[in-house]
Amino acid sequence: MKKTIAACITAAFAANYSAVVAAEEVFIAPLVEQSVLLDIDADEFVVIVGERGHVLISQDGQSFKQLKVPSQSTLTAATIKGDHIWAVGHDAVILHSPDRGETWEVQNFQPELQRPFLDVLFFDTQHGIALGAYGLFYRTLDGGKSWQAERHASLLDPYDREYLESVREEDEAFYQQELESILPHLNRVTAHGNTLYIAGEAGLLARSTDRGESWQRFTVDYTGSFFDIKPLDSDTVLAVGLRGNIFVTRDSENWEYISTCSTSTLNSIYLTESNKIYALGNNGMLVSASRPLQTSQHNPYANPSSCTPATGVETRQVEDKAALLNAVSFNGQTIAVSANGIKTLNLE
Amino acid sequence: MTHFIEHLVFANRKLLVAIFALATLFLGFQASQMRLDAGFEKNIPLNHEYMQTYIEHRKDFGGANNILVSVCDKNGNIFNTNFFDTLKNVHDQLFFINGVNRSLVVSLFSPSTRFTEIVEGGFAGGPVIPADFNSQSQDALDLVAANIEKANIVGRQVASDYSCAMVTAQLLDIDPQTGEPLDTLALAGELEKQLRGEFENDNISIHVIGFAKMIGDVADGAKDVLLFFAIAIAITAVMVYFFSRSIMLTVLPLLCSVIAVVWQLGLLTLLGFGMDPMSILVPFLVFAIGVSHGVQMINAVEKQAVSGIGAKRAAMSAFRSLLIPGGVALLSDTVGFMTLLVIDIGIIRELAITASMGVAVIILTNLVLLPVLMSFLKLDKNYVDKFAGKEGSHSRFWTVIAACSRKKPAIVILLVTAALFVFGHFQAQNMKIGDLHAGAPALHETSRYNQDTFLITDKYEVTVDYISILVETTPEACTSHSVMKAMDDFQWKMENVPGVQSAVSLASVAKIVNAGYNEGNVKWQVLPRNQQTLVQAISRVPTSSGLLNGDCSVMPIILFMEDHKAETISRVVDAVKVYRDEYETDDMKFSLASGPVGVMAATNEAVKAAQDPMMLYVFGAVIALCLISFRSIRATLVVVIPLYVVSVLAQALMTYLQIGLTVSTLPVIALGVGIGVDYGIYILSTKNSMLKQGATVQEAYLAALKERGSAVLFTGITLAIGVSTWVFSSLKFQMDMGILLTFMFVVNMLGAIIVLPALARVLWWNRNDPGA
Repeated sequence: MKKTIAACITAAFAANYSAVVAAEEVFIAPLVEQSVLLDIDADEFVVIVGERGHVLISQDGQSFKQLKVPSQSTLTAATIKGDHIWAVGHDAVILHSPDRGETWEVQNFQPELQRPFLDVLFFDTQHGIALGAYGLFYRTLDGGKSWQAERHASLLDPYDREYLESVREEDEAFYQQELESILPHLNRVTAHGNTLYIAGEAGLLARSTDRGESWQRFTVDYTGSFFDIKPLDSDTVLAVGLRGNIFVTRDSENWEYISTCSTSTLNSIYLTESNKIYALGNNGMLVSASRPLQTSQHNPYANPSSCTPATGVETRQVEDKAALLNAVSFNGQTIAVSANGIKTLNLE
Repeated sequence: MTHFIEHLVFANRKLLVAIFALATLFLGFQASQMRLDAGFEKNIPLNHEYMQTYIEHRKDFGGANNILVSVCDKNGNIFNTNFFDTLKNVHDQLFFINGVNRSLVVSLFSPSTRFTEIVEGGFAGGPVIPADFNSQSQDALDLVAANIEKANIVGRQVASDYSCAMVTAQLLDIDPQTGEPLDTLALAGELEKQLRGEFENDNISIHVIGFAKMIGDVADGAKDVLLFFAIAIAITAVMVYFFSRSIMLTVLPLLCSVIAVVWQLGLLTLLGFGMDPMSILVPFLVFAIGVSHGVQMINAVEKQAVSGIGAKRAAMSAFRSLLIPGGVALLSDTVGFMTLLVIDIGIIRELAITASMGVAVIILTNLVLLPVLMSFLKLDKNYVDKFAGKEGSHSRFWTVIAACSRKKPAIVILLVTAALFVFGHFQAQNMKIGDLHAGAPALHETSRYNQDTFLITDKYEVTVDYISILVETTPEACTSHSVMKAMDDFQWKMENVPGVQSAVSLASVAKIVNAGYNEGNVKWQVLPRNQQTLVQAISRVPTSSGLLNGDCSVMPIILFMEDHKAETISRVVDAVKVYRDEYETDDMKFSLASGPVGVMAATNEAVKAAQDPMMLYVFGAVIALCLISFRSIRATLVVVIPLYVVSVLAQALMTYLQIGLTVSTLPVIALGVGIGVDYGIYILSTKNSMLKQGATVQEAYLAALKERGSAVLFTGITLAIGVSTWVFSSLKFQMDMGILLTFMFVVNMLGAIIVLPALARVLWWNRNDPGA
């Protein structure tokens, strides 16, 4: 109904290049493989990013090499497109390497924003988006030479949107200011064909069919945060988040709850090559679910005493109980990143 | 001069004996008041730069003097009624032990042990053990189990395998009841009695570690010293009897030596000192040195008495001939021990005072009292006959040994000595400073204390080996992103130094809290640039965490180490000195050091720095005394060179046996040199006067051997046997000292008999028998 509002609102300012000061070079640390590592991506090679500007690369998934990048900001996400690597993170930093990590440039660095990017996605080597805290949303059409900030009011829940509309009618400047502070954290963006999905703060799950120009927010009966969303096939979409909650939709409209009986926040969804579903979480939690997914009647807010997990759902913890952030399969093995560094998971 | 003293002494010999008897009674009474006395601060170099930092900040961060009590369930699972009841009792009991800092007793039962969890609306949390906890209820135990996991204390307050839980406490330096320094040994006794004694049973084991407990165990071990003392006296008595063939001549030197020990202990008490367990060995040494000089005395008396001049004149003659060499030898022992005073570690200073006082006392008891007592003896014909003919066989033996002063043997001996010296010198370069083994170095690895240490470091992720670097900056500095980032970066670089296992500081905790404020999302585990957000994160960290002081102008970075080997410590300390240069500003200093390993680092550095000056002073003193008494550079050289070679070889032996140079082994070389010089001085005093009268080296040496040789040989063996029994001590440091002293006594004796004449042969090149 409010298509006009749901449309993207492009703020008319370009990314601040002057802030790209001579950033400090990363410390090459012997223990980098045991540091807090936050994201992993794999294509023909594997790239891992983490705290203090740590970027690691591996050709074989076994031995990793730390790269000299011109930043010490904590990197929260990375993506590979061909030979290109983009890594984003705190201080609104965006790092880019055009040559599999040989050389690096700082495409954006705005510590004064006091907002981190939390995920990055490229459609091709030119067109990409980086998103993060408080609705932070940057887009590039030229491989990151320039980034434009966008604000998507369509990501807000209906009540907030209604409130903002009333504000806008009176004062456009105040509207922008309010929008800036009211937008939720955008924790994860995933692509499925031409459809994009976002998982975010306070029950935010949304879909876009136009590369993120406009968003349709799903209605979910849960106000906790989501940290990952992943389509399993054209109909089924899975979302995981705070306190071990998993939701699934089979018709892109109604979300159903899958009980895990664990209160550990789930950070990422990982699909094995044999199509088994895993969710990776804090406290080293590994939740597996077999398909078809069974839903539960349990209340997601309740404490899990006297709780039975949904059929086919099993939980276990990795030995050191370090928070698991994400995983990829590469060269026939599952490589995960955790708060204690790189882990090879044995999921069988 | 000697004659005057001789007259004075022997003319009033009854009066003298009476005075000695009274003094012994008085000092004996004093000695009976002696108490064992141990203090943490005596063991550390208080004036070292690191220790100044430690002392300055210990009010805020507690000292390095803490106690860890691990309560373990023998069935391997703590979640039962009996265990929690016991743990609570241990907590309460420890809380009430005098000397424990009550605000810093921490266990599952302390209200500060809390958990927090993230829920949809923000945080939820509470004490790990709720106020209405009922140990009888399985539900309550399950709840505590869940809370323990949420509180993230597994590995610290609870063993990683849930078989034990920890109660920790910090100790005060001053006893709050008396205002006196804390009686560590009494506290250790209380810990043993009130914790282990009360609560250890078939289901529960109690493991206690910490400096106070360690020193208590050392004191218990030191009580074995009495047994060793008895054994040493027995062995010595047998040896002296074998040597003197007279019961009276056996009893007298032993008696005089025991009197020396009594005097020493009495004087110590009179001066207000107690006996530290770490220097419990000194009375031993005093006794042994006393016997060795006593034997010289009975040897001299015997030599005179054989010629049939009667006991009194023999004693007077012995007194006259031994007062100077004996006095010089004892004086150099005294001075040798006094040089230890330059080392700025309380316990070594105490050792220096105790030992030098004991040796000085021997001058009175064994050089004056002993001949006076002997002058009352009746050395009858029977006695004289025992030695008839013995001289002859001795002479043959000494003639063989005297070949050492002939040209060819002398050159061979000197070449071998030189080779040993070169070998020893290179070995000695590898001598390690500090403790080389895990656990408490004063105790054996198999001791209960070290077993407890190994259990605790095995079951928990904690280690007692940590060093704190204190970040000293301006008030409210913890609200500054740049200060916190500098701390965080420095900490990360230190974590990457081999030997550092993990690290914690306000900065690293603030990052975790910040993630907590962001729904526990690890991606937010950073130091917020926004000051309000940073303050919000830091405000969750109480000062009782030991990570900041009241106005957060001082914040420690605590590095947990893999071990406390000297190499590890110096590598970490060096890294601190390199990395801190990158971060220090006018307003921010990274100061070394606190924590147990900080103390060790300072001690190691102090010991290392003391080593060379100590050797210099000991040898300086020995050289000066030799020059004064012999008035000959050559005579001084022949005494000092073998001594130096032996002290280098002793260092090589330390390398070989993996004995590190520590507060307890550092004095050994000074003691060894101080005592070792006696042999050379006795041999040379005869030899030197003969040489001055124009005798050849060979004549002089043979005469010296005949007069003093058997006493020197005998003394070396007696001393060595006495200290070698320490190998069986329950204290590791006593064993180390025993090995080293045995080595130094025997080899110094051989040096005086074999190397000294060879050196003399070369130095007095033109004063030899024709063809020798």
